[in-house]
Amino acid sequence: MARTLPKTDVLIIGGGWTGLTAAYELAHAGQRCVVLERGKKRHTATSFSAPEEHDELKYAHRYSHMMDVKKETLTIRNNRDQQALPMRRLGSFLPGSGLGGAGIHWNGQLWRPLPSDLQMRSHYEERYGKDFIGPDVSVQDWGVTYEELEPHLDFFERICGTAGVAGNLGGEARPGGNVFEGPRSADYPNPPMQQPISNTLFGEAAARMGLNPFPMPSANVTKAYVNPYGAQLHPCTYCGFCERFGCGYYAKADPIICVYDRIKDHENFEIRFDAQVLRIEKSEDGKTATGAVYLDENGEEVFQPADTICMNAYALWNVHLMLVSGLGKPYDPKTRTGVVGRNYAYQTVAGVDAFFDDSVKTDPYMGAGALGVVIDDYNGDNFDHSDLGFVGGGYIACKQYHGRPIGYQPVPEGTPKWGAEWKQAVRENYNHHADLVVHGSSVSTPENYLDLDPTWTDAYGRPLLRMTFDFPENDRKMSDYVMQRAMEVAREMDNVTSVSGTNLAAVDKHYDIVPYQTTHNVGGAVIGTDPETSVVNRYGQMWDHHNVFVFGACLFPQNLGYNPTGPLMGLAYWTLEHMKRDYLPNPGPLMDA
Amino acid sequence: MAKLYSRRAILAQIALGTGVAGAGFPVSHAFAASDDRPWAFFTDDEARWTAAVADVFIPQDEFPSASQAGVVDFIDFQMATAYGAGEGLYLDPPFPAGALAEQGYQLEFTPAQLLRQGIEQARQLGDIATMDAPARADHVEEMSNRDDITGTLIVELWKLTKQGYFADPIYLGNHDYAGWRMVGFPGAHAYYTERVDAHKRSVTPPPRGIAHDRDGSPYPPRAIGGGSD
Ligand SMILES: Cc1cc2nc3c(=O)[nH]c(=O)nc-3n(C[C@H](O)[C@H](O)[C@H](O)COP(=O)(O)OP(=O)(O)OC[C@H]3O[C@@H](n4cnc5c(N)ncnc54)[C@H](O)[C@@H]3O)c2cc1C
Ligand code: SF4
Repeated sequence: MARTLPKTDVLIIGGGWTGLTAAYELAHAGQRCVVLERGKKRHTATSFSAPEEHDELKYAHRYSHMMDVKKETLTIRNNRDQQALPMRRLGSFLPGSGLGGAGIHWNGQLWRPLPSDLQMRSHYEERYGKDFIGPDVSVQDWGVTYEELEPHLDFFERICGTAGVAGNLGGEARPGGNVFEGPRSADYPNPPMQQPISNTLFGEAAARMGLNPFPMPSANVTKAYVNPYGAQLHPCTYCGFCERFGCGYYAKADPIICVYDRIKDHENFEIRFDAQVLRIEKSEDGKTATGAVYLDENGEEVFQPADTICMNAYALWNVHLMLVSGLGKPYDPKTRTGVVGRNYAYQTVAGVDAFFDDSVKTDPYMGAGALGVVIDDYNGDNFDHSDLGFVGGGYIACKQYHGRPIGYQPVPEGTPKWGAEWKQAVRENYNHHADLVVHGSSVSTPENYLDLDPTWTDAYGRPLLRMTFDFPENDRKMSDYVMQRAMEVAREMDNVTSVSGTNLAAVDKHYDIVPYQTTHNVGGAVIGTDPETSVVNRYGQMWDHHNVFVFGACLFPQNLGYNPTGPLMGLAYWTLEHMKRDYLPNPGPLMDA
Repeated sequence: MAKLYSRRAILAQIALGTGVAGAGFPVSHAFAASDDRPWAFFTDDEARWTAAVADVFIPQDEFPSASQAGVVDFIDFQMATAYGAGEGLYLDPPFPAGALAEQGYQLEFTPAQLLRQGIEQARQLGDIATMDAPARADHVEEMSNRDDITGTLIVELWKLTKQGYFADPIYLGNHDYAGWRMVGFPGAHAYYTERVDAHKRSVTPPPRGIAHDRDGSPYPPRAIGGGSD
C-alpha cells in the first residue's frame, strides 16, 4: 500500500515548460502547488557551463540530458498488421527528463500558429469545398481561435525574450517580417539574430524569386533582457552547442531560468525530484481524479492527493498516463470510437543540401538553435491548394544551427558512404554547404494512433505505450511539393554548384524510428468542442474528469507546419487563465458535454 | 587483469596490411606517442581487426586514418564504459524475429557484446590481415550488406569510427585534433558574436578541446580517466 501524504490544492505532473509555468501562475493565484518531476534537479548556472557542456559526444549522441529508455520507452510499428517492437534506443525524437524537461535542450524556434491552422477543417472546407479533405484524414478545428490565443502567444514570446521582426502588427504589414502571420498585438521584445552568409544568400535568392524571407523567431536572445517574471537573459554567443545542449550563457530561454528561479522560493510552491508518477487515481464514481501514485527518491510508492491535477508530462507521456490510469475512453481504430490515443501526428521533414563553390565559406560551427532565414510562402494555406491534392504545408528555412563535426558531414549526392572519397568530400564541403529544411505539417488519420502494448513493459511494470504511425499519403505529397520549391530557391542561391533533396516521407519510405526528425510528437489527447472527438474541452479540461487539466502538444488535433512550443504555451496560458478565473472559484465542467 | 599489449606493435601490423608501412607513422600518430597500456576491452586480435575496418572507413591521406587518429582507443574506451555496457539501451525481452529496419536496433546484445560476438563471427568470413586495401574495402562492403550480426556490427563500427574521429579528444580519439583540423572545427571554446555576420572568408581558429590548456599543456590529457561519458 502506498503511503498517503497530506492533500495539496494542485498536483502538477512534470517540471518542464508547461509544468513550471502552471506552478508559477497557480501558486500566485493562491493555490498550493506540488510539482512531481521524474528526473533530477539541475540548474542552468551549474549544470550547463562551457567548455564542459560543449561535448558533442556526450550530449548530442549519448543523450545525457534526455530521458532514459531503460526506464520508459514505447513500441513502434507503421501499421496495425505489423508487430510493434520497442524503441530500444532514442533516435527519431528526444524527450526530456529532469528540471526544465526538454525545454533546456530545445532549439528555441518560437512560432505562432497561423489563424487558419486552428480552424483547419472549417477553413479548408470553406475555401475549397466540403469534399476537399480526403476521407482518411481526421483533421479538425481546435475549438479555440487565434484571436483568443493571441495575448497568450504574445506573453510567452516575452517570457522568452524572443528575437524577431513582426510582419503583421495589429493588421499593418511590416517589412522584413512574416507577411503571412496573424495580427500581433506587439512586436517581438528583441531584435532579430545576426545571420551568417549561407542564410543571407538564401534570403536574397528567395526575395529575387518574389518570395518573402524573414529571420526565424528565436528564443536565443539577442540583447540583455529581463522577462515579465523578472528573469535576466543575456545575448547569444552563437556557440553552436544549442539543440540537445543546455545554455550556460543564459542566452537560450529555458524553463529553469525563465520560470523556476522566479517561483522556487514562493510559499505555495514545492517540487519533488526523482518522483516518477505511475498512475492517477480516480474517485469512486469515476468523475474526478483524487491524486497520483508516484515512486519517491527512495523507490517507495507514495500517494499524493490533490483537488486539481495538471498533466504536464510531455505529449506522449500524458497519453500514456491516461491509458494506464483509465482516464478518458481509449481510442479503437477498428470502430473509430474513443478518444485517448486518437489523432496522433508528427512532423513531416525533408532536407535540401546546397553546395557552394570555394568562394563562400560558411563556418558552420558558428550557429544557434534558432538561427535561420525562413519563407512561409508554402506553409499552412498560404498558397493555393486547389490543384495540389493535399492540405497543409511547411516552412522552408536555411539554417545554421550546429556545424558540430560528428553530426554534420554534408556531402554531395553520389558520394560513397565511407572511404577515401567520402573523407575527401567531407573535408571539401564542411565549410561550403547551405542546410535547408522543409518543416512540414502532419495530418491526423484514423490509422495513426497511440494505445498500450500487449507485450513489453517499462521498469515499473506498466505496459509500454504503443505507437502506430506512418506518413499519410497527404503528407507525402505535401512534403514532396514543398521540397521541390525549396530546391528551386537553393538553385537560385549565389555560388551554389549542386543541390540535392531528401524527403523522409517519400513514397518509397516508411516512418523510421532511427534518424532524428523532431521532438514534435503531437495529438493523442486532443482539444475540441465535441467529446466524441476530443479528450479535453476547449479549455484543456478533461470531459470525463473535470478536475484534470491537460497541457502540451498532445492537445493538437493535427500538427501544423511550425514547431510546437509557441502554440502549446499559448494554449497553456489560455487554460491557466480559465482555471484561475472560472474553474478554481467554482470547480466543475467549464463546458457542457 | 587484462594482459599488456603494445598498441604500437599492433598498429604496425595493420599498417603492413595497407601497404603504407614504408612511410611510417606521422609523428602525431596516436600510437607513436603511445605506450604499452593494456586495452581496456579489446584483445589484440580484435583491436587489429577493428583497426583494419576503421581504416577502410577513414583511410590515411594528408590527414591521419581512423586508427592513426586514435579511433581504436576510442572504441576500446567506449566498450569498457557505460555505453558499451548498454546505457541508454532498453534490452527487455522478447526479441522476436522479423524486425523491420524502421524499428531500429532489435538485438539482445549490449554494444560490448555486439562487438565481441560480431567480431568473432566476422573473422570467420575472411582474414582481413592478409588482404590488400581494395580487397579490405570490398570485404567490409560485403559484410555491411549481410542481414545478420555482422551487418549490424559494421553499422555500429561506422558510427563509432565517426564518433572517434570527431569527438572531443578527452575520449581518446581525434588525436591531436586530427578530425577537427581536417574539416576546420575550432572546438569547445565557442564565442562567435563578433564574426557570425561578418560574411568574410575567415581563418578558422586552431582547435581547442574541453581539456585544452588544462595543466598548461597544449594538448588534452590522454589518460583513460579523461573521459566523462
Ligand atoms: C532537441 C530538441 C529540440 C527542440 N526544439 C524546439 C524548437 O526549436 N521549437 C519548439 O517549439 N520546440 C522545440 N522542441 C520541443 C520542446 O522541447 C517541447 O515542445 C517542450 O519542451 C514541451 O514542453 P512540455 O512541458 O510539454 O514537456 P517537457 O518540457 O518535455 O517536460 C515534461 C516533463 O515531465 C516529466 N515527466 C514525464 N513523465 C513523468 C512522470 N510519469 N512522472 C513525473 N514526471 C514526468 C519529464 O521528465 C519532463 O521533465 C525541441 C525538443 C527537442 C528535444
Ligand atoms: S547558440 Fe546561443 S542560445 Fe544557443 S546555447 Fe549557444 S549561446 Fe546559448
